[in-house]
Amino acid sequence: MKPAAVRSVLAILVLAIALSALLIGCSGPHYLSFPFDPNGRSLNSPYAELSPKAASRHLVFVSDRAGSQDVYVYDLIGRQLLDLPELNSLDMTVADPDISEDGRYIVFAGNRQGESNIYLYDRQLYQLRSLTNALKAEVRNPSISADGSTIAFESNAQGQWDILIYTRAGDPLDIPMNPR
Amino acid sequence: MVRHFGIFKRFQQWIGLSIGLILFTFLINCQQDVAWADDSLNGLNSLYTDEQPALSGNGQFIAYVSNRNGTRSLLLFDLKSQEFVDLPRLNRPDAIAENPGVSNTARYIVYVASDRGRADIELYDRVTEQVQVLTAGYRGWVRHPSISPNGRYITFETGSNGQWDIEVIDRGTRVELDVL
Repeated sequence: MKPAAVRSVLAILVLAIALSALLIGCSGPHYLSFPFDPNGRSLNSPYAELSPKAASRHLVFVSDRAGSQDVYVYDLIGRQLLDLPELNSLDMTVADPDISEDGRYIVFAGNRQGESNIYLYDRQLYQLRSLTNALKAEVRNPSISADGSTIAFESNAQGQWDILIYTRAGDPLDIPMNPR
Repeated sequence: MVRHFGIFKRFQQWIGLSIGLILFTFLINCQQDVAWADDSLNGLNSLYTDEQPALSGNGQFIAYVSNRNGTRSLLLFDLKSQEFVDLPRLNRPDAIAENPGVSNTARYIVYVASDRGRADIELYDRVTEQVQVLTAGYRGWVRHPSISPNGRYITFETGSNGQWDIEVIDRGTRVELDVL
């Protein structure tokens, strides 16, 4: 074989390897692995992690790792749990959290002394408030739009599960309800 | 007598007309009744269970599960135009789709479907109208998926470690992101 031919074959080989490496590097779907911490300082722990919702870099979920069912936010880029002052309390069970894309607003269904409400937590002001105090019904499964403007949840006020839509300020959007 | 009969004959026209009018209004009312009953299935809520809402990026679309029409199906409702959006090939007669999560413009919808004898996380693309099974061959039970607003990350609960943990899928850099 002539040296020129060998050289061109080698060049093609190197190019193919580089290309495939590039393709694998920025490739298709794969599972992300996060450190597992038995002490509960990471995403997964030996306890239950439930109802994950991912915004751009924040992952909100519920875990009973601290002995009660609480809300946690994991920073997918910084790879650490974020502080949520004033959010979790001993007398409230939380479920089904959701988070806005900027990570500022968290909604969840909270049950305190048998009363269920949809709560909104502002991560900038450390402020927690109930959106459904005026609603005498069981509520569950809240969802917040990525821009944080709108919140949808289920209520059984009409005798079956219906979907209600509220603004972040807590005002019900005008949804035509089914006629009785 | 003859004259009297003439008056009656003249009035007969009017009597006939008014009876006709009354019958006609009844008919219209009946038709409105029928349309009214149909309205209860064309709106967001019905007399059946409507649950598991998931809002899109700016709150325009809402994906949820409804028991109306005698099937349990995953619906996408446009809150702006107040009408349903077609999801061809998503709901199948031999499977149940539940727990939806949506991206910014509701282009991507993730959900749990049980058409292969076990629960799988599936991804529906509204542009290509294709369903992709994300957890084919995955070991362990899966449930409660969600997708990030831009459509790149998908999270779900996994039972493969003996307790509920959180799994995160990065769909990679080659997916078309769903930006508002």
